[in-house]
Amino acid sequence: MNTIVALLATFPIVFFFSLLFEGIDRKIHARMQKRIGPPIIQPFYDFIKLFNKERIVPVTAASGIFTAVPIIAAAVSILGAAIPVVNLITGTSIVGDLILVLYLLAMSSVMVMIGGSSSGNPYGAIGFSRKMTMMIAYEIPMLISIASLSFNPCFSLAYYDVVATQIRMKSLLAFTRLSMAVAAATFLLCVPAAADAVPFDISEAKTEIIHGSLIEYGGPYLALIKLAKAASNFTLAFLAATLFFYVPALFEGYVSLGLGVALCLCLVTSLIFMLLTTTVPRTIFARLKIGQAFKFYWLIPLTLSMLSVALSIVGL
Amino acid sequence: MTDKSDDAKEIKVDYTRLRIPFGPVHPALKEPISLRVTVRKEEILDVDIRLGHVHRGIEALAENRNLVQTLYLVERICGICCHSHTTCFTQAVEEIGGIKPSERALYLRTLIFELERIHSHLLILGLVGYDIGFETLFMFCWHVREEVLDLFEEITGNRVHHAMNTIGGVRWDLPPHLIEKVNVSLKKIEKSAKYIYDVFQDKTVEKRLCEVGVLSYNEAQELCIVGPTARGSGVSMDVRRDYPYAAYKELKDRFSVVLKYGADTYARTEVRISELFESINLIRTILDELPNGSISMEESVLKLMREIPEGETVSMVEAPRGELLHFVKTDGKEGLRRLKVRTPTLANILGLKPMLIGGEIADIPVTLASIDPCIGCANRITVVDEDQGEVRVIGLEDLRRRGRKR
Amino acid sequence: MSVTARSRIKSPWLFHLNTGSCNGCDLEIVAALTPRYDVERLGCVLVGSPRHADVLLVTGPVTRQMLPRVIRVYEQVPEPKVVVAIGSCASSGSPFLGSQMIEGPLDKIIPVDVYVAGCPPRPEAIVMGIVTAVKRKFG
Repeated sequence: MNTIVALLATFPIVFFFSLLFEGIDRKIHARMQKRIGPPIIQPFYDFIKLFNKERIVPVTAASGIFTAVPIIAAAVSILGAAIPVVNLITGTSIVGDLILVLYLLAMSSVMVMIGGSSSGNPYGAIGFSRKMTMMIAYEIPMLISIASLSFNPCFSLAYYDVVATQIRMKSLLAFTRLSMAVAAATFLLCVPAAADAVPFDISEAKTEIIHGSLIEYGGPYLALIKLAKAASNFTLAFLAATLFFYVPALFEGYVSLGLGVALCLCLVTSLIFMLLTTTVPRTIFARLKIGQAFKFYWLIPLTLSMLSVALSIVGL
Repeated sequence: MTDKSDDAKEIKVDYTRLRIPFGPVHPALKEPISLRVTVRKEEILDVDIRLGHVHRGIEALAENRNLVQTLYLVERICGICCHSHTTCFTQAVEEIGGIKPSERALYLRTLIFELERIHSHLLILGLVGYDIGFETLFMFCWHVREEVLDLFEEITGNRVHHAMNTIGGVRWDLPPHLIEKVNVSLKKIEKSAKYIYDVFQDKTVEKRLCEVGVLSYNEAQELCIVGPTARGSGVSMDVRRDYPYAAYKELKDRFSVVLKYGADTYARTEVRISELFESINLIRTILDELPNGSISMEESVLKLMREIPEGETVSMVEAPRGELLHFVKTDGKEGLRRLKVRTPTLANILGLKPMLIGGEIADIPVTLASIDPCIGCANRITVVDEDQGEVRVIGLEDLRRRGRKR
Repeated sequence: MSVTARSRIKSPWLFHLNTGSCNGCDLEIVAALTPRYDVERLGCVLVGSPRHADVLLVTGPVTRQMLPRVIRVYEQVPEPKVVVAIGSCASSGSPFLGSQMIEGPLDKIIPVDVYVAGCPPRPEAIVMGIVTAVKRKFG
């Protein structure tokens, strides 16, 4: 019972930080382009405004799926974002493990895809096929890099076990073993594609296919989809920051720092990782084509993830 | 029953093919053009280009207006190459009237012309960046472009429609303190242009531009492609060199025509970047050699206009996008009997089909940007059916058939 | 001011529709996005689909071919929406007034909230037009 209450209490926190992170991302992106940029709380304005707009369902759309999908996507990704946070706060692994988190992340992408293809717009269909290809490209290395955690004798796929191990070892996971460093690199390489950021925002390319799946969505539906995206970006950054680089571990976990400070440290680290993996590439690269992106993911991250598994098995 | 089964046999829908409308309203396009693209997955099988969304009937309007009014109308054919249009038109009128503008006026015309080329090329380089999702490059190019617009504003008073040309000369002089200012700005622009050149060497940019939208030398010649698009395919043509006008007669040897042989989008982009440097050097030469004298005729423009006799002529200039051609036929009573405009985009748009077929959907916006389309310039025949309230664009085949009927 | 009204004023998403303009106004709209003017500091984003938009920026004197599209795009924008006519062409039809191909000016076809005059208007004027329109309608 307590777990459920804790989980529900985490929802507003996740909601707040997802949108705040998006605002910081946009601000820094603008500053890098010599612009002033929107205020940091801009995503909140956008969310409230979109939520109070007219609901339009196109005639060509399958209305049931079209309207249900954004709600499911938002619920699923908020839940996905809340699980690691609640596990960290309670210091247990009662609510779900890493597989569930990754599954929820993928689920929210799939939901948006389905929504796009149910809209009856040809661009939505192209967005569907592009996103599908991208998911095949990046999900496999990402899953393997997470799975390689469990090949180590002292780890499991339960989220808090990994964190606890770092606290025990008083070091960041990525720096303890070679295999874990490779796994961390793989995971970070997969983040931009999972977050739909340039150079891998092929499924939502504005100038090519007019936002792809999102083309027919407007008003509250769009607000929910945007929220879902912000929440999954937050989850990805939070996972990267806590699984591989749990900074409070350096100060012996909660013992010397207290829960609040530890959580703040985690959030700051995840913000830094989000800026590195999403904002910077989005500023300095051009969008790749679908074939090129696919080739990249199957050449470099996949090889790296295999390497991390091999190294884990050897025991490095 | 049998009928139905026969029908079913006949209609074989290929479900792997998808027909997508690209435009007329599309975020990659700043102007409406409609491409109907047939694709299989990402590959483009066929392209159908429809023009006419911006047809405003300028040629017909010109027949009801006098020459000075038409000068301002012609400027509004296109907001990017407005100075090219007015230069072309005034040249034609001056030729018919036997008016010879002063040397200084011609040099000033050329100065604005080259500034316009810099602004137009920076604009399209930015849009190429935008179309491949490289927003920072777009922001940078347009930031540099503001520098040129400031110069325009200082010299002519306007950012976009300069209204610099008038029959028999130009409307604004270039005082010495502005020459200084132009020189300072040119330094800044040159530095930024070098930086832009470096950015285009970026790996992701190269991946998006190389081997995309290939238009071979032969195709370019057959389709009469003009301007930087032709020069990117190795066709050596430049009106400034081949049929010099304005001050280019004296400046002919002071610039070189940039040729690239890559024939793809990257080559066209390279041509534009190199032309930035050529234009900067040319402007420096113009500023050094600016002759003294008056900038316009002693008589007023209206008096000059009344004296223009009946006659017809063709005038050509090298607009930023390529060869621009005006056919002007005056009626000797202040007005025009016929105005015909052949814009570079109208010639280049034919090249789109060979460029796009076989490519990917992702290539459409950037290929389109690489020919630097100015749709405002390019729209021609549209027929409106009043009874049915429908609008059709009539192709050559249709016109022939109608011709035979009559 | 309610939270909703404030959010609407702070986040106007733009959709740009060219209905036969000469490019001048379109260039100035795009120039308003770039570092010197940067409308994103006011929360404006140029979106690609009319379904996402709040503010419809229309340039050009509305040619006959674009007429049905103008109406369709206007209908696709969800309520509440604002229409801003950019440039003299959209506001009054000049200098193409009298052409057979022109169906405009824009206010004959769809309701217009704010007119930004000029041929073309400067980016500052366009930004001012957007802000005025949004404040008047939502504030």
